[in-house]
Amino acid sequence: MATVPQPIPTTATTTSPSPRRGLPSGVTALLFLLPALILLLVFLVYPVISTLRMSVDRGLGGNFSRFVGLDNYINVLQTPSFQTAIINNILWLIFYTSIVIFFGLVIAVVAMRVRYESIIKAVVFLPMAIAATALGVIWTFVYQLDPNIGLLNALLGVVGLGPVSWLGDPAWVNAALIAVGIWGSAGFATVILSAALKGISPEILEAARTDGANEFQIFWRIILPMVSLPISVLAVTLVVNVVKLFDIPYVMTQGGPGDASRVIALEFYKQDFSAGQFGKAAAVAVIMLVILIPVMIFNVRRFRSGSVV
Amino acid sequence: MAKSLRFMTLPIAAVMIVSACSSGGTPAPSAGGGTSAAPGGESAAPGGESAPAASGVTGATITVTSLWGGSEQEAFQKVLDDFKAKTGNTATYQAQRTDYATVLQSKITSGSPPDVAIMPGLGFLRQFARSGGIKKISDLGIDPASLEANYPPGILDPGKVDGELYGIMVKFNSKSTFWYRPDKLSAAGATVPKSFDDLKSLISTLQSKGSATPLALGAKDSWTLTDWFEEIYLRQNGPDAYKKLFSPDGDWTDPTVATALDAMKSVITNQNVPGGITGALGVAFTDGIAQAFGANPSADLYYEGGFVGGIATGQVNKSLEIGKTIDWFDFPAFGGSGDTAAEIGGDEIAALTTNPGVKEFIQYMTTVDSGTTWAKTGAIISPVKAVGADAYPNDLAKKEAAQVAGASAVVYDGSDTLPAGAPDMGAMLQKVIQGQDTAGLLSTFNSAVKQAWSDEK
Amino acid sequence: MSTTTATERVAAPAAETASSRILRGLNRLPIHIALGLIALVWLLPTVGLLVTSFRPRTEIQSSGWWTTFGSLQLTLENYQQVLNAQGMGQAFINSLIIAVPSTLLPLLVCSLAAYAFSWLRFPFRDTIFLIIIALMMVPVQVAFLPVLQLFKTLSDGVSSVTGQPFVITQGYAGIWLAHTAFALPFGIFLLRNFFITLPKDLIEAARIDGSSTFGVFRTIVIPLSVPAIAAYGIFQFLWVWNDLLMALIFVGKNSNYPMTIQVTTLLGTYGTEWHLLAASAFILMVVPLAVFFSLQRYFVQGLLAGSVK
Repeated sequence: MATVPQPIPTTATTTSPSPRRGLPSGVTALLFLLPALILLLVFLVYPVISTLRMSVDRGLGGNFSRFVGLDNYINVLQTPSFQTAIINNILWLIFYTSIVIFFGLVIAVVAMRVRYESIIKAVVFLPMAIAATALGVIWTFVYQLDPNIGLLNALLGVVGLGPVSWLGDPAWVNAALIAVGIWGSAGFATVILSAALKGISPEILEAARTDGANEFQIFWRIILPMVSLPISVLAVTLVVNVVKLFDIPYVMTQGGPGDASRVIALEFYKQDFSAGQFGKAAAVAVIMLVILIPVMIFNVRRFRSGSVV
Repeated sequence: MAKSLRFMTLPIAAVMIVSACSSGGTPAPSAGGGTSAAPGGESAAPGGESAPAASGVTGATITVTSLWGGSEQEAFQKVLDDFKAKTGNTATYQAQRTDYATVLQSKITSGSPPDVAIMPGLGFLRQFARSGGIKKISDLGIDPASLEANYPPGILDPGKVDGELYGIMVKFNSKSTFWYRPDKLSAAGATVPKSFDDLKSLISTLQSKGSATPLALGAKDSWTLTDWFEEIYLRQNGPDAYKKLFSPDGDWTDPTVATALDAMKSVITNQNVPGGITGALGVAFTDGIAQAFGANPSADLYYEGGFVGGIATGQVNKSLEIGKTIDWFDFPAFGGSGDTAAEIGGDEIAALTTNPGVKEFIQYMTTVDSGTTWAKTGAIISPVKAVGADAYPNDLAKKEAAQVAGASAVVYDGSDTLPAGAPDMGAMLQKVIQGQDTAGLLSTFNSAVKQAWSDEK
Repeated sequence: MSTTTATERVAAPAAETASSRILRGLNRLPIHIALGLIALVWLLPTVGLLVTSFRPRTEIQSSGWWTTFGSLQLTLENYQQVLNAQGMGQAFINSLIIAVPSTLLPLLVCSLAAYAFSWLRFPFRDTIFLIIIALMMVPVQVAFLPVLQLFKTLSDGVSSVTGQPFVITQGYAGIWLAHTAFALPFGIFLLRNFFITLPKDLIEAARIDGSSTFGVFRTIVIPLSVPAIAAYGIFQFLWVWNDLLMALIFVGKNSNYPMTIQVTTLLGTYGTEWHLLAASAFILMVVPLAVFFSLQRYFVQGLLAGSVK
């Protein structure tokens, strides 16, 4: 490995290896990477390889002896509920990702200007400490049809509207679940972005103000470009969350009514994996991996571009 | 997993096949009952008063896993305590409340399976049986034929895979119970409906007396809809057609299926159900119970299995009075051969190992001792024939047991019979009641179910 | 309020300090309102669950929690029932035994690997990094069967060598390693993106002073990254603490079960015991919140703080 020609040094921050120390740089790096690599090989790489193998087998109930070629893939892609799941994941991708980042940024920027900043951040972060099942319980109550029990329909009742069947109406159910996702993740975004904002030196902002820039100009011209890296880190994390998303629909609707709120990972887990359809489940997992490859490539490109420093 | 939860029983209300057999607690074939299954100390004396005392090991410890938690677990613990007292072996219970099949599969794979599992869903049972995860009952040294006499006909059938007995039903609930508010019905001058048409006119009577939406429905848990469909299909077409539909030979494009769905849609309508269909699709199973039996009821009728009683009286509303504010009638009739049949959902016990004590435990679970001990807790209905009506602690349970015991035929919950990899029947029905194209849904469903059956082999 | 400020604005243009302070207060009124609304939306559902956790079961389904303030029918029974449940104390200790190493191990392993990916040069660095981020996409479930099979082989091997029956999942090692491994892709991704933003000069200066690669890691990178590492540690701790599925799979002995599992065993088949669900949700939240508040000061600098230098 060490003898392979060096690839183009990509990240702008790479330092030259110390020539005076004994170990060749590749070996030193390997030592740092070793614990991670061993664990990854055992728990992730090896399972992924066996998943690839499983995805071309009938794989029913853990019995892998019936090669079926690409049948599982064709089968999965032709399932109507899987197609619905893909569409729903796209909805999540668009709305969940952008609104979480929006809220995170707004809360982080706005909260910086008040003395109770840490309280606001703690409040928004609170849902992060709540287990998924409890999250489901909380919001199932908020969305209850009966205005005597459901907070949202009670509030709508006050202004003479509703009740709306938030989880029973195919027109509303995805919006209702995405809202729960946003509620749960905004704290994560706030914490990350707020930390990044703290890193902007006050002098730059002062200078801009002195030059007559208004707050909106400062936000768009200075703050936003300076937090673009954390935002892209956040975006990648959220996109990964979306593709793996499963607990909110699982706990709250089981993908219903009908297939209205299905998502890919739920399809994987409920329809295939827990049903012992390991071949089909593996095919779905591989499809999930493939979907994410563009995101990963974007991410790595982004850091290569040198915009980091 | 809701798919697999649906046939599990809740506390209290269970009843049991009140042994129609004359003398209440007739101990079944202790010595000679029916089959001579006692060669070489392999005496399976299930159903007998005394468990397999002489032949079995003592001092063994085994683990038993199932889905029950909370009060269900406490009730089952009484059975385990009795097992220890009777046989000298210890069975330790591990509640496995979520991701049942996944975890069980994992434990089998990692080489540390529980010794005994009580399983939800026949699809899983077949799957584990065919992949070698669970043992044949005969592998334990228990002669399956020796068990037949302890149960009403047909009870052991669901536990058979490819003709071999792998699982034995240990508890069940009737699914043919239609729950209602006696006080509301008598206030409206109405009586309990006998036929499906009676049910429709009862609903309009109640509506004319000021109950706008008499029929509670918790269709967010889609298994409530599969039960609705199964009851109607069973009554319209009889037990044989029912069993065929839920077998590899079933044809979902057959006109009888659409007819049953039409009947279902004739009562599950926007007018009859609180919040309309869209509303009901956002209402969970227990919230449906609350619609009819809660403190601020908006409905008078609720169809679901015998377990509704326990949840309604134990959790939703403690002021309910059996016979006054809560009771049930037989699911209404259609005038066919299926009208006197009963549908049940139940749990199957299966052995994952042949460790010492496993045989003794499985045998014990077929005895009247275990059945009676368990039935007395009010948590279950025991399928063991010799468990007497007096074992059940309340009237709802006694009545449920009597219903099943008196049924002309007993069939198993159809959606729990489908292969584990079958498409989501409940989701399909959710679309049906939304008014989507039934023929199209059924034809898609039909081909996917056929595929799942053939995959399973 | 707005009228007084309006008059003052006209009346006292000269009183620079007083009026500008008021003006600023007025400008900030929308900020306070917006933050107040956000706090309300983020708190209300949780408060609802909190109130619910003190209500008797039969009340929960008959009236909204907000009506409780009128009648004050509250009870501690739900909490007693959860806390007095058999094995709950042991489960709490188990949760700590599982969560603490499952947080510290990933921190260590991720830091080492992230350092290599950000500051060391070795062949295929970006390719390996890309693969590792792609592994974020792997649904944990795909690893269950292959890893358990591997564990079984390993366990059988140990058993045959020692002559003692040995099953790796009977202890805690299985779950520690599993949590660590599945944390790696995200942890490495996050920390690497922080590490690359550390000041290059500092690191090169240390090199010139003769520090070894590990020396730079220990004396420069880690101390500078404490906020990021702490923040990541909190996320990891929250995930592990609230985890249910991994514990179900990788904790083989039920006397080792964490609280998340123990709590589910209080529920009946239909899981309708909302009073217990609500109470246990708050019991489960206590430790994560304590951790969050004790480490919150790190968020002030926090995650990715250096990334916008």
